[in-house]
Amino acid sequence: MTLQIKDLVFSYRKGFFGVRKQPVLRGLDMELDAGEVGILLGINGTGKTTLLKTILGIEKPESGSVLIDGKDALKMKRTERARLASYVPQIIDFGELTVYDTVMTGRISHMGLAPGRSDREAVERIIHEMGLSGLSETSVERLSGGERQKVAIARALVQEPRILIFDEPTANLDISNEMLVAGEIRKAARDRGVAVLVSLHEINRAADIGDRFFFMKEGRIIAAGGREIITEEIIKEVYGVETDIFESDGRKIIMRKER
Amino acid sequence: MDIGTDTAKKRKRRCAVIIAVMAAVTVLIAFACLFAGSSNMTVKESLGALFGQGTAAGIRIIRNIRIPRVLAALIAGAGLSLSGLIMQTVLNNPMASPSTLGVSNAAVFGANLSIILFAGGFLSTGNNLQGYMAGANPFSTSLTAFVFSSLSVLLILGLSKLRSFRPGVVVLAGIGVGAVWTALTTLLQFYATDVGLSAAVIWTFGDLGRATYRTDAVMGAVVAAGLVFSLVCGWRLNAMSGGDETAKSLGVNVDRLRFIALLISSIMTAVCVSFLGIIGFVGIICPHIAKKLVGSDHRVSVPVSMLTGSMLLLLADTLSRSLGSGTALPVGAVTSLLGAPFFMFILLGRFGKEEYR
Repeated sequence: MTLQIKDLVFSYRKGFFGVRKQPVLRGLDMELDAGEVGILLGINGTGKTTLLKTILGIEKPESGSVLIDGKDALKMKRTERARLASYVPQIIDFGELTVYDTVMTGRISHMGLAPGRSDREAVERIIHEMGLSGLSETSVERLSGGERQKVAIARALVQEPRILIFDEPTANLDISNEMLVAGEIRKAARDRGVAVLVSLHEINRAADIGDRFFFMKEGRIIAAGGREIITEEIIKEVYGVETDIFESDGRKIIMRKER
Repeated sequence: MDIGTDTAKKRKRRCAVIIAVMAAVTVLIAFACLFAGSSNMTVKESLGALFGQGTAAGIRIIRNIRIPRVLAALIAGAGLSLSGLIMQTVLNNPMASPSTLGVSNAAVFGANLSIILFAGGFLSTGNNLQGYMAGANPFSTSLTAFVFSSLSVLLILGLSKLRSFRPGVVVLAGIGVGAVWTALTTLLQFYATDVGLSAAVIWTFGDLGRATYRTDAVMGAVVAAGLVFSLVCGWRLNAMSGGDETAKSLGVNVDRLRFIALLISSIMTAVCVSFLGIIGFVGIICPHIAKKLVGSDHRVSVPVSMLTGSMLLLLADTLSRSLGSGTALPVGAVTSLLGAPFFMFILLGRFGKEEYR
């Protein structure tokens, strides 16, 4: 297993002295294998982003364990963890760096003080593979939303991670850019053998690109498994919405009952 | 696989050329400033005095007054500008400046305390040649100013630590603490004598004439440390422009980097301000000019910011000495008068990067 999470508990601290606690994750278990796209589903505020941030070491949990490739991700140094888990954030703001320099920041956990030959080669290779060659000297600010997402994915991949984490990658994209990003997510899992964990709101898009699905409710995973676990009942339980699910060509199409 | 390497090389060369040209221009300006001043020495006399020829007075003017002053402009300009650049990066806030942590307000309070309470206004402010060496201890005011600005920095970094250094918190804490220092200064000035008050106010004007070789050496050492830090951590600073969470996921120890960066840049400001008085504008505007010229890659924007700061302060100081017929005008005011139109020109003109449009 690439990612193993056991009994993860996380609370936000509240109040002036940070004594009061607001529980977010309440004993969460999860497993994801290399080459799989795992989709995290659940209503806003249920702790999806917190879970992703905990895996990345941005937030520290109260208890529980996060293992990446069998190693304890909560106890390792930042640079070591950055070589195992990388992040494509929801909001992408790079400042005024060029595409090349932005992708190079993905090598910080590999380089010493300055990029070496292997870092430059890795960056050039990934820029080439992602089809960004023509843009490598362009400032990221001038790119379209989909291109920016590609740069963010390139930067995350150049970290050479075992697990790649996306937070709402298609939230602000039009349908063509959404397709493009979905394609990159699948390619990362299939071609690079990376475990990919994605939080998504759009349940139809999720059903299309995911291999494993994790339904989250009140800080726990209440159902996990392949496409077969997407049912009217579980959607009703997680989102409180009545739906009809149609199958066609092996795809699931989820429609709300009410309009 | 040589994708983009051609353009990358071109960009590198362009940046190298910009830095080289700016460095050359800065050196030229520095020499030009050496030859300008109220004693009406000709360029030939000045040049001779530089190499130890000419009247004794001439040699003394060049060696003891103008060289330390020009060095001070070079160093303080570079230091204040670098300080501003680092602040803007690690606080993710384009409005941040060397004074964001209340450093200047604290220094002003410290200086006021020293002048009004302890020296009764008899301390030299060094603003004119006549009173140049009249002060009892030329360092007492600077020292008090430095002690208070360091105190302020530590206080704010401590307060921010309680909330794990979220950039917004740091900025607001700086505003809060700065307001306290300003209030205390106002109270001090309310009870001051006329002489004490005017001496204190003149101190805040900022004056490069207070510089000596010794103060230049101290400022130089601190600014050099800042330069080394920002070049060594260049890539990590670059990563921080994408926000805290992204930087953390890239393996940057964001909290520690921000702490060190704020400490170093505040000390740079504290030292410059304590020795020279308040020199506004350089620290907030020069980094923006640099970023608009070469983008925000710190390996380039750091040297370009520093050179921009040096140039602006040199020009402003020379102008302030030339316009005032005998006495120098407050250099802080001249920096703004000189820099603001240029900044507006860049902001509105075609040099502007898209972000600002």
